[in-house]
Amino acid sequence: MRIATANTYDNALEQLYKRQSDLSTQQERVSTGQRVNRPSDDPAAAAQAERVMTRLNRIDVDQRALESQRAALATAESALGEATALVQGARDLAISAVNGGYSARDRTTVANQIANLRDQLFALSNRTDSNGVSLFGGLGSSGAPFADTTPGVSFQATAGQRAATATALPGAMDGQAIWMDVPTGNGVFKVSLGAANTGTAWTDAGSVVTPSAQTGDNYSLNFTVVNGVATYDVVDSTTAATVATAQPYVDGAPIQFDGLSVIVHGAPANGDTVAVAPSVQTNIFKVLDDAIANIGNAAGDNKLAQSVTLALVEIDASLERLQSARSQAGDWLNRADSITTRQSAKSLSLEGDRSRAVDLDMAKGISDFNKFQTGYQAALQSYAQIQKLSLFNFIN
Amino acid sequence: MSILNIGTRALLANQLALQTAGNNVANVNTPGYSRQSVLLQSVEGAFSGAGYYGNGVNAATVLRSHDEFLTRQAALTSSIAAADGKRLEQLKQLEDLFPGGTSGLGAAVSDMLNAFSDVVNAPTDLPSRAVVLSRADEMAARFRTTAGNLVSLQQGIQSELRVTAGNINSLAARIAQANEQIISTNGSGHEPNQLLDQRDQLIRELNALVQTTSIPADDGTVGIFLAGSQPLVLGRNAATVAITGDAFGDPAKANLSISRNGQTALIDEANLGGGAIAGLLRFQNVDLVDAGNLIGRMALALGTRINEQQRLGLDQSGAPGGDLFALGPTPAGLPAAANTGGASVQLAIQTTPTSGSTALAASDYEMAFSGATTGTIRRVLDGQTVAFNSVPVLIDGLSLQVTGAPAAGDRFLITPMRNAALSIDTTFSSPRSLAVASPVAATAGSTNQGTLTLQGLLPQRADANLTQTVSLTFTGPGSFNVTGTGTGDPVGVAFTPGQAISFNGWSLTLKGNPKAGDTYTVAANAFPNTSAGNAEAMLALRDLAMFDGAAVTDGYAGLMSSIGVRVQSAGFSAGISQSIASNVETDRASVAGVNLDEEAAKLLQFQQAYQASAKILQVSQTMFDTMIRSLGL
Repeated sequence: MRIATANTYDNALEQLYKRQSDLSTQQERVSTGQRVNRPSDDPAAAAQAERVMTRLNRIDVDQRALESQRAALATAESALGEATALVQGARDLAISAVNGGYSARDRTTVANQIANLRDQLFALSNRTDSNGVSLFGGLGSSGAPFADTTPGVSFQATAGQRAATATALPGAMDGQAIWMDVPTGNGVFKVSLGAANTGTAWTDAGSVVTPSAQTGDNYSLNFTVVNGVATYDVVDSTTAATVATAQPYVDGAPIQFDGLSVIVHGAPANGDTVAVAPSVQTNIFKVLDDAIANIGNAAGDNKLAQSVTLALVEIDASLERLQSARSQAGDWLNRADSITTRQSAKSLSLEGDRSRAVDLDMAKGISDFNKFQTGYQAALQSYAQIQKLSLFNFIN
Repeated sequence: MSILNIGTRALLANQLALQTAGNNVANVNTPGYSRQSVLLQSVEGAFSGAGYYGNGVNAATVLRSHDEFLTRQAALTSSIAAADGKRLEQLKQLEDLFPGGTSGLGAAVSDMLNAFSDVVNAPTDLPSRAVVLSRADEMAARFRTTAGNLVSLQQGIQSELRVTAGNINSLAARIAQANEQIISTNGSGHEPNQLLDQRDQLIRELNALVQTTSIPADDGTVGIFLAGSQPLVLGRNAATVAITGDAFGDPAKANLSISRNGQTALIDEANLGGGAIAGLLRFQNVDLVDAGNLIGRMALALGTRINEQQRLGLDQSGAPGGDLFALGPTPAGLPAAANTGGASVQLAIQTTPTSGSTALAASDYEMAFSGATTGTIRRVLDGQTVAFNSVPVLIDGLSLQVTGAPAAGDRFLITPMRNAALSIDTTFSSPRSLAVASPVAATAGSTNQGTLTLQGLLPQRADANLTQTVSLTFTGPGSFNVTGTGTGDPVGVAFTPGQAISFNGWSLTLKGNPKAGDTYTVAANAFPNTSAGNAEAMLALRDLAMFDGAAVTDGYAGLMSSIGVRVQSAGFSAGISQSIASNVETDRASVAGVNLDEEAAKLLQFQQAYQASAKILQVSQTMFDTMIRSLGL
């Protein structure tokens, strides 16, 4: 077949351009280290790389938020630790108050010490994180969540606890549940002495012996002392029904009715009463406030014993609240570590996805580059060689 | 003295052959030149008693080597290659306008939404809010830059189209001129090789601009037709082409029109076939419009949804938020030039029952009325047509309102995505105006016994009862009763931890196990200046399915790859059509082109023949001398 001379030059040049552009494309790949430099190189891979980028950004942002949540929770955890120590201190002081050797003045000193601890505790409850967000603000607050007003401490924020998610932790804890949710008495009912009692009877905090028999009613234990022999009636003051009558009173023996058990010590006077009321909600500050009020300037009598007994069970319930919140915070802090581990594993695997999608296998890339280079060189040389060949060179 | 005559003729014929070979060598690189050769004929012999004796050679004519079919094929294939090549060249420019990675639009969108994370952690921190605003500004700026670049790309194409149309006109005129010159050589009995080559070359050049069909006429002229049937050149007359708008006067599109004898006809771009102008038109009318719609949809959907969320929230002063983005006016429907009714079409994004922003399609629409409130609407992107029989027409999250009375047969082009990306901008710069607070807040009952925790409370859509107090009272671990205005007070609603509970436009997600008697209350937010509930809703937008089901932050990846796919497939077709064109050109050149070695051989061949012819003269001279000498003169 005959070949047009001009066309061979055109075709040869076209081949050279193509080789040259292959070489320069490969050079770009090797120098950027990427197989995909623009979407058209591999649209699916380019889209994947772009998606990986937004996911990696998201992980960075989540981690940054997590660090600030972790810091807030760590502060909350240490605040709860301090609070536990303070309440524990108050408990020890309350126990010391019943010391028979103490005078009323000594007890006032004890009450003042408890009051001091209580003020420190209040300050802890309003602690904030480094961003000024209340640690115990629950679902939201404006400024300090706790207010110390005349009737007692009140919670002014929104009650409720945020949930932890797969990548984030709550930045605040529910102050209502931690500080403001302590039951009075033993958690089921509260035993108190009649205000007009004249005898020396005092009680323990009581207990539940048959949970199914509970009624949730108010009761009154009415003592009658005739000729030094004490008996008691049990009256359901909610329904006005008499539960038991003229039962002989034995010091330290449990008095049981409707599933409840109360132990009365000491000698009741005729007409003395003991009231049993269902437990209601109080708060840590109120527990301490009551203890301060009852211990301050108190004589070492049966009323002090009664109030300290009550204070101790309620302080124990408060401690239990604080400790469970603290372990919840500790749990979240552990979770922060596992989230971080998981997120970094995820970002590593995403980075791997991205790299597989768009990065150049360097060994293959360089070998391809050499191949293209050799190809281009060969094309140039053969062009130069063929170009020299012409019949005219041999005519003279 | 016939030997002398034979010698003279041979000398002359070989000289012509040498001249032709020389001419071939001279024109080896002339575009469109066809190799020529001399047609040699032996002269009729003279009768003598001893038979017919030849009278030498004659140069009959000079022929050009050319194959009609291959010439036409070469023009056609190069025309298609030109169209594909032109489109690829433009698509590559388009692709460069949509970079990926951190400098891309996708990163700007994701950065902007991610910036709300810091606001959630520190709602009262003004710098965090300011960062959100500056990211929003950056995102809007990238949208505007990209959309602006699309506009300048289009302007460049418009001017290239006009120049190309001008070139087509001048080539058509020159072909008509060549036709005229060829007619005038009729009757000479010889082919006007140079003129024919010249005309073929003009036709080839014309085909590089627009694909034509050429039909030869008896008088030696060639008729040139566009799109198979529109005559561009007939004999010695040429029509003119021009770039005009489409039937709707859409500024983003153009068409080729042809004028002949005062009559103007539009040529459908789809019928143009090949040529640079076809590639340019296809790129402008399809690729560029699609790319503009994709980025416009992204700006419109995102801007609308963020504005909706911003309006739901409360700013730092406790007032409802205003729009964060200005999106420019929504373009009205473009009426077709042939419309007879006086109607106009306006469009808005649906707001009820849910926001239309997540249903938008990146497409234009063609609306055709068959009556005042009936007709069909066609989504241009995929050609899907649906009938409507009432107005406003609801389609793909859009609501098309019709004012005035359309006549049957009236048509409108709806271009919803045109303005948004070009005009998107932030409307305020005060971080206090950012509505990060939620209008509603949830409160757990203070005596709750269960382990309910709040996963989220997001305001989701405008509702008259949004801030009404709604209480959920659990009747057990698996159900709750609801009381509150606007809820219908349902009882015994099933509760699944982690599943959203929605009333009055908010969505509440609780986790954990409730106990009977536990309550949760949703009411107006009492602490708007420390709440970041709406910022959380903004963060939640990141995973909202918005762009044909893709999440907001993945929308750009889809956009980028859809343009990548276009460039890639255009690259494949350009490669294939280029290689077909160059193969056919090689075939054509092998017939019509000059091979220098061949010409060298011919030069040697005819040089020797010329020398031999001269020898004939010498022999005849010698014969003559011999005769004279023998006569002793």
